[in-house]
Amino acid sequence: MKLTVEPKKDVYQPISRPPVRAAREGGSHGLGEYVPTIVVSAALVAAIQIASWFVPPYIIPSPAAILQATWHILTDDLGHVGITALRLFIAVAFAITTGVLIGIVMGTQPRVRPYLRSLVIIDTGIPALSWMLVAIFWFKDPEIRIFFILSVILIPFYALNVYDGIRALPKELIDMVESFRPSRWHVMRFLIGPHIVPYVFLTTKSVIGYAIRMVIFAELVASAVGIGARMNLAQSTFRIDTIFAWTLLLVIFNLTLQALVAALENVVLRYRPETEIR
Amino acid sequence: MSEAAAVIEIRNVSKAFGALTVAHDLNLVVRKGEIVALLGRTGAGKSTVLNMIMGNLSYDSGSIRVAGFDPYAEFRKLRGRLSVSFQQDRLLPWMTAVENASLGLRILGKSKAEALSVARTWLARVGLAGAEDKYVHELSGGMRQRVSLARALAVDPELVLLDESFSQLDHVTSKALRADFSRVVREFNKTCLFVTHRIDDAIEMADRVLVLEHGASMVLEERIVDDDRTDGERRATLHGRIAAAMGGQDSE
Repeated sequence: MKLTVEPKKDVYQPISRPPVRAAREGGSHGLGEYVPTIVVSAALVAAIQIASWFVPPYIIPSPAAILQATWHILTDDLGHVGITALRLFIAVAFAITTGVLIGIVMGTQPRVRPYLRSLVIIDTGIPALSWMLVAIFWFKDPEIRIFFILSVILIPFYALNVYDGIRALPKELIDMVESFRPSRWHVMRFLIGPHIVPYVFLTTKSVIGYAIRMVIFAELVASAVGIGARMNLAQSTFRIDTIFAWTLLLVIFNLTLQALVAALENVVLRYRPETEIR
Repeated sequence: MSEAAAVIEIRNVSKAFGALTVAHDLNLVVRKGEIVALLGRTGAGKSTVLNMIMGNLSYDSGSIRVAGFDPYAEFRKLRGRLSVSFQQDRLLPWMTAVENASLGLRILGKSKAEALSVARTWLARVGLAGAEDKYVHELSGGMRQRVSLARALAVDPELVLLDESFSQLDHVTSKALRADFSRVVREFNKTCLFVTHRIDDAIEMADRVLVLEHGASMVLEERIVDDDRTDGERRATLHGRIAAAMGGQDSE
């Protein structure tokens, strides 16, 4: 089998790191890296506290009120977090699977590539809000609406990055593998599959915050359960402390997911060398 | 005594890229168990010849047979019969040394356990026992090239092609690796064609040296015997003849 890709690089440097490396390493050198986050968080809490002395509680609630609302959510409304997390997980898993498949087809099938690429690029140009409104018209079931919205928004990111990853596959490695006369499956199994894994992680880390915002927004307009729906309820009942509490939990949720993805990446991509830039 | 069977047989092969002739009426035979060095100055057509033998490049006229098959038209039929070690090690960074060495075997359909077992044996043969589980970035340049050679040999091919496989290594590492490779290739009676621009590599490893000039036409064929390697005077004379055929070009 002859693999047809558009090589992006001419020279393969086996110990050089892919661009995603820098983002992953981001200075993981102990507790010191958390100090700025703690300082900024403390400053924000102080600012909210000071502001709450001068404005009514329905504009800015005190940190104590926000903590109380947070506690209420954790004890009574945690199921909504689970629902949102499950929606997010299913949609991201589907987007990864579909986006990677589209990216692989784009990267390996030159005849289909221009059409798929055009389709994906047109998709990236459609505003998320348009998809949300269309989903409300098209689907009755809120779960399908949210799944559809997240999928059409996330799939292009994976497809384009995986396609780019395949283009970056060194021609030298393709020639080496082909010297053994592999089947298409072997090329996928031993070369393309492992090569695109860093690109999938990079995309996941890049889109996870965006995906959370999208699922919340989709829940807000298209569902009665989930964090977005609860935030909508809090807004309509003038519970700004609850909105602040949900916001706090969403930040924690985002950071936790980012940490989980980074931890998984460190395990899966353990073959990559640690690099220090002086 | 009858001659051994030809593993590579190139008859009257010509190849041109547009107006540029890169091979003209080339004839070349490599017999089973031979180690043949292909030398030539830059642009002589060494890589073209190697690519045609590998099946990566078609030819315009003549015929090429590798292990009895046309390497381009019958690309898949050479599966398991031919392997290549390149100038750069071309190891897969996500695999350990032993996984890299077992790659060809996995592609040939061996089970993972069997492929790893054979690969371990070959890594030991090329002097890498104990480094099997290291990732590529944990290996030195010489070690990586050894893994690359183990990967090429592990599939038990009829023909091993080397494309400047030692040229990026320092002198000491290159010399040790050449010696190990020659020993293993002779021990297992493999056929080997290697492309190099270093005359010393050719004299030390090859049974026969072929020098190409522009258009891949043969300008010198020298059979090497052990005395050519060990006798300083004979070696210097041979070196001079080869260098002259290459237009005085030798990287060392």
